[in-house]
Amino acid sequence: MTTVSTSTSAFYDRSMIDLSGLRAQAEELQSSLSSGQRLARSSDDPVGASRLRQLQRADALSTVDIANAQRASSDLQLVDGALGSFADYVTRVKELAIQAANGTLTAAQRAGIGGEIAAMRLNVIQLANARDSAGDALFGGQAAGVAYTIDAAGAAQYVGTATASELPLGEGQNVTRSLTGPEFLQFAVNGTSTDLMAAMKALADGLQAGGPGAQQAARDGMAAMDLGLDAITTAQTVVGTRMAWIDVTTERRTNLSELRAAEEADVGGTDIAATVARLQQTMTVLEASQASFSKLASLSLFELIR
Amino acid sequence: MSSDLLSIGASGTRAARIALDVTAQNIANAATEGYVRRSTRLEEVSSAGGFNTIGDVSLSGVRLDRVVRNADLFRQSEVRRTGADSGRAAAELNGLQNAEAAIEQSGLFDAMVRFEGALQQLVGDPTSNALRANVIEEARTMAGTFNIASAALGSVGTGLRFEAADGVSQVNTLAQELARVNLRLARAADSTSDQTSLLDQRDSLMQQMSGYVDVSATINADATVEVRLGGAAGQLLVSGGSAQPLGMTTASDGTISFDVGGVGVAPAGGALAGKAQALVKLVDINVTLEQIAGAMMAAVNTAQAGGVSLGGTAGQPLFAGSSAATIALALTDPAGIATAPAGSGPGSRNAGNLDALRAALAAADPAGAMDALLFDVSSTVAGRQVTANALNTIADTARVNLAAQAGVDLDQEAVNLVRYQQAFQASGRVMQVAQDTFNTLLGIK
Repeated sequence: MTTVSTSTSAFYDRSMIDLSGLRAQAEELQSSLSSGQRLARSSDDPVGASRLRQLQRADALSTVDIANAQRASSDLQLVDGALGSFADYVTRVKELAIQAANGTLTAAQRAGIGGEIAAMRLNVIQLANARDSAGDALFGGQAAGVAYTIDAAGAAQYVGTATASELPLGEGQNVTRSLTGPEFLQFAVNGTSTDLMAAMKALADGLQAGGPGAQQAARDGMAAMDLGLDAITTAQTVVGTRMAWIDVTTERRTNLSELRAAEEADVGGTDIAATVARLQQTMTVLEASQASFSKLASLSLFELIR
Repeated sequence: MSSDLLSIGASGTRAARIALDVTAQNIANAATEGYVRRSTRLEEVSSAGGFNTIGDVSLSGVRLDRVVRNADLFRQSEVRRTGADSGRAAAELNGLQNAEAAIEQSGLFDAMVRFEGALQQLVGDPTSNALRANVIEEARTMAGTFNIASAALGSVGTGLRFEAADGVSQVNTLAQELARVNLRLARAADSTSDQTSLLDQRDSLMQQMSGYVDVSATINADATVEVRLGGAAGQLLVSGGSAQPLGMTTASDGTISFDVGGVGVAPAGGALAGKAQALVKLVDINVTLEQIAGAMMAAVNTAQAGGVSLGGTAGQPLFAGSSAATIALALTDPAGIATAPAGSGPGSRNAGNLDALRAALAAADPAGAMDALLFDVSSTVAGRQVTANALNTIADTARVNLAAQAGVDLDQEAVNLVRYQQAFQASGRVMQVAQDTFNTLLGIK
């Protein structure tokens, strides 16, 4: 306001406009300081507010990604543990098969070993029907019930779906949360596809049947267990890689979330030092204006004319 | 020689008394809104010599010529013009700020993001009842916030129309008042204090009126005023003693239009124009909000129809309703969310249709559209804020300029008080001298 005037009401009007403007400015700075937010409403900085909304959206969705990654990670750990147990069983069956292949064993001893293997096979089927963190079949893909059922002939049948479900890890990255039974239990012997449970059943049945075929069945069983172990260790490698992938995406997500937090602070946070300095400046000007106003306002000719 | 010292002195005291009265009136009204400082113009009373008295001294003192009202017509019209601009900008900004608050504070954007997040979380375990219930609750929240946003925008519109209707009746009252002032002005004698106060009233009424609509005034020779709405070629609002009624019509979409005596007018300034502009923008915002709600509902409901629920039945619509105001949650059973693709059995963990739902939602991108809407509204508000601040400063300056010229300066009045007191005392002294002179003549023995 540069008008020079002599009218009393103009003086008061001008002072009021100046003082209330300064006061509004000081209050705005104060509220920005006390809330820690530079923006009280979107229109304070439309571009910044829009960016903040996008960052907050990414943050919210990233929280869900973290939960999903943890779920995938825990499922894969369950898979890893189960695979270890499978490997233990296969190794033990192979040991038994080596024993049974020994020509010095009696038929009864072989039948006993066959009985042990048959019992272990039931354990393996139980293990293949293990549950994941949500209580569903761990190796059944996306099936609602169990992964394997036992048919009338006593053979284990895979009833799950062909693939396991994928979980999103954010930014378009996915991870398959589990393996299906056939993916690590199935292998080919001499070009014929079989699975671990069938191979164990053949071995147990052969040993229990006794006779001249029992020793050959034990030798066939040894070969089959080697192949089965191969399939399981391959699957362990796959699971290990997937867990490493989750770690990579988790680290990336953490980095991104730090970047987002930094940008949020940049865009929406109050720069304390600068704001305090500006507030101080405004207050100084306001005080000076008030002081000069009260001096000028008390300067009346009526005081002097007696 | 026809002078009379006594009557000259008496006329001097009379003139000084009047000047003192005017000064006192100025001081008393120093803070009165719309009061224009008066000053007295005095005139010498003397006569030229007549027949046979050429060169005669004929002095008769002083008389009040007129009370001058120190109003600057240009500054007054500037105050009206800038006041109308500033009033328009402030009203529009206020309406838009309310609209911004309505959609921002409804939390619609956050609710959309949370719904999106709940769906993403459901992928982790599509058969989990807890996660399904979470989706249902977030959907309910989102539907609720759509209702809130829509209702809030509606009440912003209602408020604007209510204020506009009030503004129209104010303008009509002011116009009738102005017509009455016109009539009285035509009757009042020139230079009387009656006329000056009527002129104050006239200018104050016009200034008040310019806060609502942009008016252009033509001042006639008899000091009456002719007021047109919307520029110099606009519709006649007040002419002489008659005022045309200003009317307001609300269209079906909620926008408003004005007419004077039945003839449509479009005010370019004043609060009424600002409110009309804000209502136009509000219609835009409402349309966009409806589009967002419609796209979101269509995406979710179509995807639902393409899958089967946890119970193995065909998916039912998640949302019911036809607009942002009426959108409601139709599906309350968490098991009803169709996560599995068509043909899946009960309890399927296949998240194929959930993926399709999320893809459809991502394609419709209601959160992105909401962000764009918020950005549109807030950047409009930010732009208008700058305009409004600038126009407000201009209007303030014009007002202070007028006050500087037309307002009362107490220091000057103090000086006048002293000056006219001295003049009064001096005139009294003149009468004293006249008496002394007369006594001198009487005392000749």
